Amino acid sequence: MMKFMIVEESIYNIFKKVGKHLVRHGYNTSHSGNISIRSGGKIIIKRRAAMLGDLQLEDLVVSNLKEEDSSSLIASTELGVHRAIYLETDAMAVIHAHNPYCVALSLIEDEITCIDAEGFALYKKIPIIDVEIPAGAYYTSIEVPKMLKNYPFVVVRGHGIFAKGMTLEDALQYVTGAEQSAYIRYLTLMTGKPLKRDFSKEKDFSIW
Amino acid sequence: MKGLNNKILEVDLNHDKFNEVPVPEEILLDYIGGRGLGVKLLSDKLPVNLNPLDPKNLLIFATGPFGGTIVPTNGRFSLVTKSPLTNGIFYSNSGGSFGVVMKRCGYDGILIQGALKEPGYLLIEGGKDIAIKEASRLWGCDTEKTLEEIKKIEGNRINSLMIGPAGENLIKIAAIMNDAARAFGRGGVGAVMGSKNLKAIVVKGGDTKIDIDNRDLLKKYVKVAQDKIKVVPITRSSLPKFGTSALVNVINILGMFPINNFQRGFDERATQVSGEEINEKLTQEHEGCYACPIRCGRLTKAGDMKGKGPEFESVWALGPNLGIYDLITVTQANYLCNKYGIDTISCGGSIACAMELQERRLLKDSSLQFGNSSILKELVKKIALKEDIGAQISEGSRLLSKSYNSEEVAMQVKGLELPAYDPRGAIGHALGYATSNRGGCHLTGYMAALEIFAAPKKIDRFTMAGKPDLLVLKQNQKAIEDSLVICAFAGWALGLDYYARFMKAITGIDYDVVKLLEIGERIYNLERIFNIREGLSKKDDILPPRFISEPLKEGVSKGHIVPLEKMLEQYYYVRGWDNNGFPEPELLEKLGIKHI
Repeated sequence: MMKFMIVEESIYNIFKKVGKHLVRHGYNTSHSGNISIRSGGKIIIKRRAAMLGDLQLEDLVVSNLKEEDSSSLIASTELGVHRAIYLETDAMAVIHAHNPYCVALSLIEDEITCIDAEGFALYKKIPIIDVEIPAGAYYTSIEVPKMLKNYPFVVVRGHGIFAKGMTLEDALQYVTGAEQSAYIRYLTLMTGKPLKRDFSKEKDFSIW
Repeated sequence: MKGLNNKILEVDLNHDKFNEVPVPEEILLDYIGGRGLGVKLLSDKLPVNLNPLDPKNLLIFATGPFGGTIVPTNGRFSLVTKSPLTNGIFYSNSGGSFGVVMKRCGYDGILIQGALKEPGYLLIEGGKDIAIKEASRLWGCDTEKTLEEIKKIEGNRINSLMIGPAGENLIKIAAIMNDAARAFGRGGVGAVMGSKNLKAIVVKGGDTKIDIDNRDLLKKYVKVAQDKIKVVPITRSSLPKFGTSALVNVINILGMFPINNFQRGFDERATQVSGEEINEKLTQEHEGCYACPIRCGRLTKAGDMKGKGPEFESVWALGPNLGIYDLITVTQANYLCNKYGIDTISCGGSIACAMELQERRLLKDSSLQFGNSSILKELVKKIALKEDIGAQISEGSRLLSKSYNSEEVAMQVKGLELPAYDPRGAIGHALGYATSNRGGCHLTGYMAALEIFAAPKKIDRFTMAGKPDLLVLKQNQKAIEDSLVICAFAGWALGLDYYARFMKAITGIDYDVVKLLEIGERIYNLERIFNIREGLSKKDDILPPRFISEPLKEGVSKGHIVPLEKMLEQYYYVRGWDNNGFPEPELLEKLGIKHI
């Protein structure tokens, strides 16, 4: 049985960089959102109510991967969702953010088809799920991992996005990439004009 | 299971018997095919503690549900046996078309046991004939000559696996060559074939159709995958243009390109044997395996010789690791390894070990000096034929160094010589070497993807955090890729999310990434259990002491060593193994693996 767990400086630096990016670019408000990685058979996750854009080393909490422990007293409210994602998918890092355009489109669409070339090539579509009580861990911990088995991200309608990755940076790219695709789609919808080239019509992503 | 023939061919060489044996569906569901199927069959059927060169050892070749379909890069197939070099389980994988033709002949795999009284080759002609044919006059021939002679008898439309003189002479670093220029290179598998007096295996013909659950859906998924392969730079241009040797300059600049038996990690002269140089000076034609859009292979001409390669690992092992930077000599030595049927990595690694022993004045042969390119080609021949010093080198670096009481000079893990990445330059990769079930191997859990190539994103190559977890994921991923079977290079563009969709379309079973990873975990643990029963343990999850205690002295990896002990403790924990590296009973129960 492994007895120790140290949060290395290098890990803190990655959390700080990613947290700052999410807040600075409007994916989260001052205290919303949470990020974590899987390391040494444990979860390292942001502390509850810590400012994502200004994380300190003590804002990183080490939690058990397989079962709840006392760290849940101070860990992010969404620890249960992160844990479920790690246990049920291949995620090595998880980000939960409140991407405004993804959230906006989730309120009017059932899935967000990527119509921009980047999103079309990398993501194809952004799935949306309905959860009875979107915020808080219980319901999302049941529904979100199911989708993340086959997609890198999922938007919980009206709430925000959960993205997985091999690393935090990897998950960050999914968060920011999804938002970019949602933003482009939103802008074109706003014009009310037909698309000159609709990538989503060229490939059938309903099968994806 | 759809996508497979659900049967293998069992060949008993002792009695010239051939049996079609159905594979139970539960085995295919749990282990899929390829490496997984081979590992399961070997574990079930091989007696414990058998000498790998005993005729009772098994050679198991197997393809998977992707083989022969339209999935890109499906031309690969796997070999599983017990290795005479490591005395543990050995899985290997090779490309070309043999695996696809074997499947068209109606078999997901061929399991070979026993030994022929006289040299022979096995012929499998789809729908027509299975036979052992006499091959005494081929014994002693190199692989090119052997292929030429077999084609005279069986026609040009064949695919073949064969050994050269190295395999016949049972040298522990002998390869099985695939159509004379590809290889099941590592682990001394050629000696296992030689111990059976089996010169070659030939497949041809066959028209067995693969039952696909939903062809239209598979077509759609494959189209998306092909588009992705076309846009990712590594699969679109780097590999097709420069082949694997594109890595030479990249690894050298990072200060982790092993020079003179891993004594240094950088040398300016390495550019002389780079992918760019090979492309400009040697490449005649590009080529690829069956159903491969990447086409990383190349036909080359070096001086008065022609052949295939050299690949990155070969150009390094026979070049800078020996202090040799003469591209023509290195390439010709590579051709000779192919002709004699020798693993280029272990060949170079064992020669490097001999050169360091000579440098330390332990081995008295003044010609064995780093940088002495004039001896290289002759030395390859001597190794294959077990002549003079070649006989000692042919045993591999572990036994060679042991005979001089200097095991620290052998750059190997579990007896398998290390490949072309100094582990001090990427410590997750180092942990991969130490824990690979087949020994010192970079492919079993390719952490360099993250630590060097930032795929999918860069992680600090010198930090420990998260590495054991990522390595476990990579090892399980590779185990499943080798079982589906698909080329590792497809992974630069695709991944398990694609493969799960392909599997769903082919089999009709609702696969997802997690289900595939569970199978990978099962395979990895069964391999571990096999090794434990054969006497391997935590004591074998090690690295040569050089990497633990001697920092690199120059280049951008300067000052670094591998904190192996700390990482290993975490790795065991993440794997669900106890402190001695034994899988915990509850893990084995979850995976459905019997206790030892």
